[in-house]
Amino acid sequence: MKADGVLFHAKHAFMPNSLGYCGPDERGMIQRGLEGNKSDEKLVQTLQKFEAAYPFLKLIAKSAGRQVFDYSVPEAYWIGNRLLDRVPVSDFYSFSHHEIRGRDPEKVREVFRRLDGTAPPHHTFYVMSTYATTVVPDGPNVTNEARRKIAEVIDNCRISWGAVRKVGKEELQVEVRRVNMDDGRLSLARPAVKRVRYNPEVKPFGTVKPGDVVSVHWNYACDVMTPRQAKNIARYTDGDIRLVNRLMKSEEGRK
Amino acid sequence: MCVTRAGRVVSASQGKARVEFFDGRALDDVDVSVVNAKKGAFVEVFGNLALGVLSPAEAKRRKQAWNEVAKALGTAR
Repeated sequence: MKADGVLFHAKHAFMPNSLGYCGPDERGMIQRGLEGNKSDEKLVQTLQKFEAAYPFLKLIAKSAGRQVFDYSVPEAYWIGNRLLDRVPVSDFYSFSHHEIRGRDPEKVREVFRRLDGTAPPHHTFYVMSTYATTVVPDGPNVTNEARRKIAEVIDNCRISWGAVRKVGKEELQVEVRRVNMDDGRLSLARPAVKRVRYNPEVKPFGTVKPGDVVSVHWNYACDVMTPRQAKNIARYTDGDIRLVNRLMKSEEGRK
Repeated sequence: MCVTRAGRVVSASQGKARVEFFDGRALDDVDVSVVNAKKGAFVEVFGNLALGVLSPAEAKRRKQAWNEVAKALGTAR
């Protein structure tokens, strides 16, 4: 078990779990682990109960020949790194049918067929492709208000990132690029300041300062990113958006 | 991360609903306005937003799929 990988994963899984959107009802366990900067068997067991995140880590770890909580593995999943490129598409295809239950198998097949095997096991792709694999009444003809809500949930659920502009007691002002959905296409908007929560008890947020680049999940600052990570998440997010727009374009053509 | 979860609307008012999911958990204030779901409908929820309405047959399949996941994860309720 690699403590730094466990904590990195826990930081990014914490907020949606806390909101009740995924994982087991054990949010106190994750928070205690993060505030104590301590990884133990109980925290690992909690993280293993996430229905989707943990199987994704296992998939990436197996392809890379690394331990599930090797830092590079959750980093690949949440942020993006070269390990994603080492996951054979056949493994990801099989995984999407047998490990991630609940999605319509026919729609999952369509995703792989239409993307010619280029779908990555990246969290942001999973989030963004959900829109394309979920039955939305009237498909691309949904109202502008519905589009705004869908873009907002995608934006909150993916990992976004940005430079800290102002540090408050438990709130940061971060310059982020939100997800837009115009004419059924996803894009990133121009940078704008967004207020997000953070926990100064969680390392390294006790010393967070303007100029630091942070990762954000459900309006919660998860971690301070390295320049390499900031570059990677931008690159992989751009790729995810391109792929999902291809999906949505071909879906539109089928209607 | 968020997962797409299926469940049943047990009460709904003004575009917000309480949804009981097949995984045994429940959420209040699910936004069901995009799919216009009413009480009793089966919905597919991502985060706090309902993105789809499921037929009873599809809902049954999702429930079975969830039970298999729960068994595999040791979280069967």
